[in-house]
Amino acid sequence: MDYNCAMIAHRTIMHLDLDAFYCAVEEQQDPSLRGRAFAVGGSPNGRGVVTSCSYAARKYGVHSAMPMAQAVRACPDLLVVPTNFSAYRTVSRKVMSKLRLFTPLVEQLSVDEAFLDVTNLPGSGETLARELQASIREELGLPASLGVASNKLVAKIADNIGKDRAAQANAGYPNAILVVPPGQEAAFLAPLPCRELWGVGPKTAERLHELGIERIGDIVRFPAHELTRLFGKHGTDLIHRAQGLDDRPVCTEREAKSVSAETTFSRDIADGQELRRTLQRLADDVARRLRKSGLAGSTIKLKLRWTDFTTPTRQLTLARATDDAMVIYTAVETLFRQLWPPGTPVRLLGVGVNGLAPQPYQPTLWEMETDEFLQAEEQMQRRTKLRDVIRELDGRYGLGTLRRGDNSQ
Amino acid sequence: MRVSCLQENLAKGLSIVGRAVSTRSTLPVLGNILLEAKDNQLRLAATNLEIGINCWIGAMVEDEGAITVPARLLADFINNLPPERIDMELSVRTQTLSLRCARYTATIKGIDASQFPFVARAQADEDEGGSMADVIDGVTIPLEAANLRKMIDQVVYAASTDESRPTLTGVEVRFRSNELRMAATDGYRLSVRSVIFDEAIGPNEEIMVVVPAKSLGELARIAADADDEEPVKVIVAQSRNQILFQIPGNKDEARGSFQWVELSSQLIDGRFPDYNGIIPKSRDTRTVVDTAELLKAVRVAFLFARENNNIIRLTVMPDGKNGADDNKGQLRLTATSMEMGDSVNDIDAQIDGGEIEISFNAKYLIDVLSQVDQPQVVLDTTQSTRPGALRPVGVGEDEYLHVIMPMHPNR
Repeated sequence: MDYNCAMIAHRTIMHLDLDAFYCAVEEQQDPSLRGRAFAVGGSPNGRGVVTSCSYAARKYGVHSAMPMAQAVRACPDLLVVPTNFSAYRTVSRKVMSKLRLFTPLVEQLSVDEAFLDVTNLPGSGETLARELQASIREELGLPASLGVASNKLVAKIADNIGKDRAAQANAGYPNAILVVPPGQEAAFLAPLPCRELWGVGPKTAERLHELGIERIGDIVRFPAHELTRLFGKHGTDLIHRAQGLDDRPVCTEREAKSVSAETTFSRDIADGQELRRTLQRLADDVARRLRKSGLAGSTIKLKLRWTDFTTPTRQLTLARATDDAMVIYTAVETLFRQLWPPGTPVRLLGVGVNGLAPQPYQPTLWEMETDEFLQAEEQMQRRTKLRDVIRELDGRYGLGTLRRGDNSQ
Repeated sequence: MRVSCLQENLAKGLSIVGRAVSTRSTLPVLGNILLEAKDNQLRLAATNLEIGINCWIGAMVEDEGAITVPARLLADFINNLPPERIDMELSVRTQTLSLRCARYTATIKGIDASQFPFVARAQADEDEGGSMADVIDGVTIPLEAANLRKMIDQVVYAASTDESRPTLTGVEVRFRSNELRMAATDGYRLSVRSVIFDEAIGPNEEIMVVVPAKSLGELARIAADADDEEPVKVIVAQSRNQILFQIPGNKDEARGSFQWVELSSQLIDGRFPDYNGIIPKSRDTRTVVDTAELLKAVRVAFLFARENNNIIRLTVMPDGKNGADDNKGQLRLTATSMEMGDSVNDIDAQIDGGEIEISFNAKYLIDVLSQVDQPQVVLDTTQSTRPGALRPVGVGEDEYLHVIMPMHPNR
């Protein structure tokens, strides 16, 4: 992972992003969707949002994170496809293992995004990118766009820009490749809006705008000492990034810093019992994921969103790391009691654990008999699902609405 | 309802059924205890809908009747009374229970007994129209209370407490002909205990149920007060969704006694993992040590291990610590805490096989060793990444076996 920059003239880094990944997977499973305006996400009747949308839908102004109801208004013919995360995960795993065959230096960023360090592979960055794009299309049937540059920052921006340009030029998947040759980083970035830079959110953009800085090139031209005076350390980082400088290595193992789960209610909830039940469920979920990745954390965090969208959080640190649902729930319930005035409606609840460290691994007895173990796990998951439904019904209609058939009299 | 009983008997009964009282329920009546006076007995009952307990104590019934009253208040009140006669009387109109004992009197507001959920019983009263049909039309198995209690104690701790894995929070109980077998596992360790009786106690066809570990824990606790001469009856419902234990009381008990108790529990619906495959079939090293000595050494090591995820390392040294000794093997227990320091304890061992180093969770070892009655235990191991098998010396492998998965100390 350590690079001795003096020894390497320049690196070749690729950023790969699967185009409208969820939609592409849905199209594979249902070819009739091809070319149609559709969106993957929650129902337009509740508070569902667009998780991903086809390029045909984007023409109507539909974009991800948009409330589904609004998307349907913008595009009345929009087909709404429910999300099928397990299918996406399966396909994603195939893609990622394909990338790892290409080079072991892969840093996976999400289900559909990764950095690759191809410095030591024979061939130019562009040739390698074409090769990889073609093999993903031919062997897995998925469209992908790539950005190639001498570092992660510029490679990612190149990928975004390449995609945008291709999307404007044609209606289908972008399948873009954009290469920024070494030495051209600053020139490539200069005309782009500041928002493209990593670390420039709406607030920083606003402040830059007040200084008359609109494009990345403006940052470079702006007196450096002024920027550092106004933005502190962040100012120095901004200047470096605007110049296209980034020496972060491609990390093959991205360590989870936190595990969290949250839920937005389909209607605001003011009932303490129901809220606690939700906390319990979220704590169960977080604990299960911790255990799955062999981690334990000592900082327990509660996130709450009131109806006016203010989102206070509270956290507490335990004496020792835990992956136990009960411990997490107890901690988060304590925070909840401190934060929640009884009867106040709540829009969103979240539970998180950070301060993660690997649990000295206690393997299970069934690890040797994987099938058996998986079956038990699967059954357990089904039961958990059932329990959640019962909890939900209990919460809505009162305790004991749904009981085992033999229990009712 | 007009009934009299002894304070110590009522206090005992309340402490037994009190364990089934629902502490956090939206149904207020579940926080109550049902008192029913009938046939010169007082029946106490409580349920949290998962476990139900009925307890009958001796009483003098003048007028039959029933009422439910808040469990906590009633128990606290009764516990503070002198060991004398208690007279209770129900005012049906106001649904309040008046109690009198020595110079104490109280009236407690209740909830109508008809609001109370049904708590499963072995025999329903005639006027209840056979409402217990679903429980009793099952198989009845007689068991000795002391035996049963020991069995439960030896397996129940290995069950999981993780509610997200419901099946593993239970104990698998199998009855077949003259054999009773219990098994529990949390995925990291497994405890299997079996008893072979001289004659058939169960049906020829095997009955296999998963009983919540919590329910069995309650059963063991109640069985501690049972009459050891009389068998505990186990009744498994025909539909395999409920189990009921009928425990005879010990009438000679001076600190309060019950006539009998019936504990009913929902069964866990799910397939218990097949554990036969994970029981080690071979061994490379067999280590025999003194049970009490090992337990003490583990407890000492645990003082350090608890700062380091309970890891203790066992080093089996067939030739003793200084090389070729007079065939005197040693078992070394090492625990290290980054912040506190470390501890190394050696105990004598008879070793058959090669040297091995294996790490276990100290807590798991303490759990199992605390339940072994025999003076010696044997630990069979193969590799440091494969499960170890532990059992008391002199007990057949099919009678009591504990399997523990080792830890990876370096991860």
